Amino acid sequence: MREMARYGFTLALICLVAAGLLAAVNALTGPKILAAAAAEEQAGLSQVMPLADKFTAVKQGTDETVLYYKAFDRQDKLIGFVFKSGGKGYSSVIQSLTGMFPDGKISGIKIISLNETPGLGMRVTEEQFTGQFKGQNSMDLAGVQAITGATISSYAVMDSVMQKAKEIKELIKNDK
Amino acid sequence: MKNLIKEFTKGIIKENPTFVLALGLCPTLAVSVSVANAIGMGIAATFVLLGSSIIISLVRDFIPDRIRIPCYIVIIATFVTIAELCMKAYSPALDRSLGIYVPLIVVNCIVLGRAEAYACKNNLSRSFFDGLGMGVGFTLALILISAIREFLGSGQLLGHTLVKGFEPVFVFGMPSGALLVIGLLLGLFNLLKEKRT
Amino acid sequence: MINNLIVSGSPHIHKPESVARIMWTVVISLIPALIAGVIIFGANALWVTLAAVTAAVLTELILGLCTRKKVTVFDGTAVITGILLAFNLPSEVPLWLPIVGAVFSIAIGKAVFGGLGQNIFNPALVGRVFLMASWPKYMTTFTLPFNLDAVTSATPLAALKEGKVLEHISYLDLFLGKHGGCLGEVCILALLLGAALLFIKRYISWHIPFTYILTTGVFVYIFGGDKLFSGDWLFHILSGGLILGAFFMATDYVATPLTARGQLIFGVGCGLLTAVIRLWGGYPEGVSYAILMMNATTPFIDRYTKVRIYGTR
Repeated sequence: MREMARYGFTLALICLVAAGLLAAVNALTGPKILAAAAAEEQAGLSQVMPLADKFTAVKQGTDETVLYYKAFDRQDKLIGFVFKSGGKGYSSVIQSLTGMFPDGKISGIKIISLNETPGLGMRVTEEQFTGQFKGQNSMDLAGVQAITGATISSYAVMDSVMQKAKEIKELIKNDK
Repeated sequence: MKNLIKEFTKGIIKENPTFVLALGLCPTLAVSVSVANAIGMGIAATFVLLGSSIIISLVRDFIPDRIRIPCYIVIIATFVTIAELCMKAYSPALDRSLGIYVPLIVVNCIVLGRAEAYACKNNLSRSFFDGLGMGVGFTLALILISAIREFLGSGQLLGHTLVKGFEPVFVFGMPSGALLVIGLLLGLFNLLKEKRT
Repeated sequence: MINNLIVSGSPHIHKPESVARIMWTVVISLIPALIAGVIIFGANALWVTLAAVTAAVLTELILGLCTRKKVTVFDGTAVITGILLAFNLPSEVPLWLPIVGAVFSIAIGKAVFGGLGQNIFNPALVGRVFLMASWPKYMTTFTLPFNLDAVTSATPLAALKEGKVLEHISYLDLFLGKHGGCLGEVCILALLLGAALLFIKRYISWHIPFTYILTTGVFVYIFGGDKLFSGDWLFHILSGGLILGAFFMATDYVATPLTARGQLIFGVGCGLLTAVIRLWGGYPEGVSYAILMMNATTPFIDRYTKVRIYGTR
């Protein structure tokens, strides 16, 4: 019985020290982690909407999921929207960030995360593919050529962008 | 002093955790796609190995034998979480490319293996050099594998293109390529060992 | 060869068969398909094949000398590996591709395991899968037959996978090889001629090829159509690498089961895997993966179909 108590005490002590240490490290790094995530988000946003000066997130519901971002220029004029979309590719969900002007034209897209076949599906991240989206109408994307040998991945990006653009348009209409 | 140096160098070649002990192969297979990943993983693992070796050799007389494994795991997990939080704060890109494999250092057999086989039986300075040697050996092995894989799989080293017009051998960027490279290197190590004896 | 392993009481009859003799006959049996490939896709097909064969033979020679083992170059197995690898490539690939593939086939697919008779996988297919994973761009770009401008075209199976209708290809075209594909797999007529020679010489038995093709056909007939029992089984048998695979690669002596019962299991397994990959898998063609997967199961099949020694349990 005394043995048991000693074991429990030892383990509890070690856990206590560990917890204290982790709390300290968390307090030190926590703000930095948030700042890094925010900076990364900003970098992604301004990459697909280079003209914008600042972005505000449009959130919904109690859990505050971000629906889309509004992009403003220096004079605080609304110049466009940025939204995230994801579509099932060949072996993963391909997530992309799209910047869109109010008239529906695309200002740029960026692939955020994917896990496709190297040499085929992975090529959707290349400028040769993403660059084609610039200036396209987000409703039909007729001018975007799918990559040879990687049609599934290419269409996953295109379809998810088109579908999400339609949803966002509806939301914006209701907003007004 | 000479003994301590020996403790350090044995982890690099004679008892290399990857090529001789064949421990911790899961992260080795997964993160050796690029040299940058390998260095990040190596540093994180060395930090954990060093930290846990020091603490465990310090408290080895205090921990009852029958509950030593949960104690070790708590100590190791603490260091892993510290490493993960620091990586998230100071190098988010590296953290994203390593993903789940940083928290998984907790179950890396090299770390628990050294705690169980060495740190709990030896004093502070010896455990320190043992942990450092093992960490460096693991890091060097990772860098060797990832250099071969990154060069063949993408024609680059640390993100710099080395040979213009090289057609990347994509298979080396995939898990199958990792198995191929590790298998051939293990064979090479065994061949060298055979030659020496 | 199939039943020559039975040891019985004397008198014994000596036959002038040897590994080299069998292998060179297999080489001869592959020549009609090579000629057909050259006629259909032009001289490039010949260069690709020669590059693969030369690289395979040289690798075997160099590795043989380095490891100081008996040099096995002249038994023709390396030549067969080279030819079969080339037969699984499109004709317009750059010439370094078959060379790298052949070196990989011999070095990793065969020599690493201990050389002739020790490899667990068919070396040519190991090389092909390596090339497929490494340079998919080259491996999936096929050219139209009889077209010197190298116009790219999809193989019939790839077109089917992308949901295109294939009205312009007749069964006769498929049989003669007038469609895009790998250089040695397209002309079924030439392949069957070669296979006939091997059958007449009794170098291969009917077990694996027959069950393999039958299983694929039946499975596709049942599940390949819009509703059950309406699949285009003849199309699936005549297109892709099924005939080449079934007669020349699934019948590899080393990596396939020894007993007739084991060979039947092997053939059915290959057929099922091929049909499943073709109908529901990511790739349009599954012959090479099917054969490799079944190669891996060969030791188990052999263990469970072993002939019981008389008087033992």
